[in-house]
Amino acid sequence: MPPEPVPPILHTQSALLGFDRPVIGPLSLEIPAGARWALTGPNGVGKSLLLKAITGQARVHGGRFELAPRTHPSLLAQDHARPQPWPLSGDDWLRAMGARVPEHEGVRALLNRRLDRLSGGQWQLLRLAAVLTSREEYPSAQRLILLDEPANHLDAEVRADAVELIKAVPAETTLLITSHDDEFLQALGLENHPLAEYLDAG
Amino acid sequence: MPGDLLLTPFIAGVLVTMVLALAGAGLFLRGSVWQALALGQWAAVGGVLASVLHWPVLPVALLLGGGIMVLLQRSRDRERLPLAVFLAGLAAVTLLAANFAQASLAAAAWAEGQLYFAGPNELWAAIGLSLLTVLMVPVLLRVWLHAQIAPDVSAASRPAVWQHLGEIAWLVAAIVLGSMVLGLPAALATLLLPAWGAAWLARNFTGLVLWTQGIALFGFLVAWTISLPLDQPFAPVLVLVNVMLALGARLAAMLR
Repeated sequence: MPPEPVPPILHTQSALLGFDRPVIGPLSLEIPAGARWALTGPNGVGKSLLLKAITGQARVHGGRFELAPRTHPSLLAQDHARPQPWPLSGDDWLRAMGARVPEHEGVRALLNRRLDRLSGGQWQLLRLAAVLTSREEYPSAQRLILLDEPANHLDAEVRADAVELIKAVPAETTLLITSHDDEFLQALGLENHPLAEYLDAG
Repeated sequence: MPGDLLLTPFIAGVLVTMVLALAGAGLFLRGSVWQALALGQWAAVGGVLASVLHWPVLPVALLLGGGIMVLLQRSRDRERLPLAVFLAGLAAVTLLAANFAQASLAAAAWAEGQLYFAGPNELWAAIGLSLLTVLMVPVLLRVWLHAQIAPDVSAASRPAVWQHLGEIAWLVAAIVLGSMVLGLPAALATLLLPAWGAAWLARNFTGLVLWTQGIALFGFLVAWTISLPLDQPFAPVLVLVNVMLALGARLAAMLR
């Protein structure tokens, strides 16, 4: 008997997404569970908005937008401004995100540092590590990791670390990444999916 | 005033200072200092209004403070609306004081602080709030830490609605009781300044909470020691001491 097809982790049909009013759509797409997708497209096409709709930070104004039951999304937002002063350490950040302390040396070196004293690249690396290991104890297949422009602020020093961390995500976990950085996407070996191909396609 | 009579206000003051300092650390992390100003001012309106109507002060102050907090929580505006609400509260107290003799006395008491006259009622209220705080600390720390992560999203479940509501109710109780016991300016100074000073010195979240407690308690003891023998109102002395301690903490962090 052939194996049963794996249900998609996200299914949308003619979905209209936005905040106070619809901004993109109709959007129709299916993301298989365990997929490794790079969502591509020009600025303003709605890549970040789609990720925010998945986490509930943006609204679905119409159509169908279904996340598989028991899916646990985590999101690395495009930017995270740091207040000054901000008396939290790297360890506090992992605790806030419900993440485990990673084995990666580069990340461990940041645990006792104050967040407002990290460089932009170190801050991005710590956030990335936290999102990737947030509630890692959930079944891998129920985890959906959303990374919005993860290559932002990564200098040469931590770029390879970021690639290494993302590649270590379990194979059953779904990974959805937006990026304009082709070199970074190539290093990760993801499938490219231009978002525009799924708009007005329903 | 005999020494044993001062034990009650001293203990009430210490307990309220510790609770306010913890609330201050939370408000600092949440970036909600304007909300604290508005809430404290409307607690004072409640206290002054209660004196005019001959009603018990604490329930009226809690009711008005709670109502204001509900209003502020419904808006995303963290600066202009709380500032407008604070100014409206200031105007309300001034108008009440201008038109009613009892209100004028009550307004002066809220401004200067009545710590030396705190009695068993205030002490029991402070003990009750302190015990509640001990029980609520894990919830408060979780809510404040979770509030830091946006716009990132964790796969972990968010704090439950009752935990958010519990935090708000606790903040209202802390600010209202703190303003009643220490006086409004002293309560606000204890809320805002030790946490701000501690934020420059602390290495992490736990350090923030501990440094805030240390600065606030030290400030209380210094103000108590200065204001009693010099026969000065407690609240303004505490405000000045806290300003100096917070600036000292900032300076110490710069020199480190």
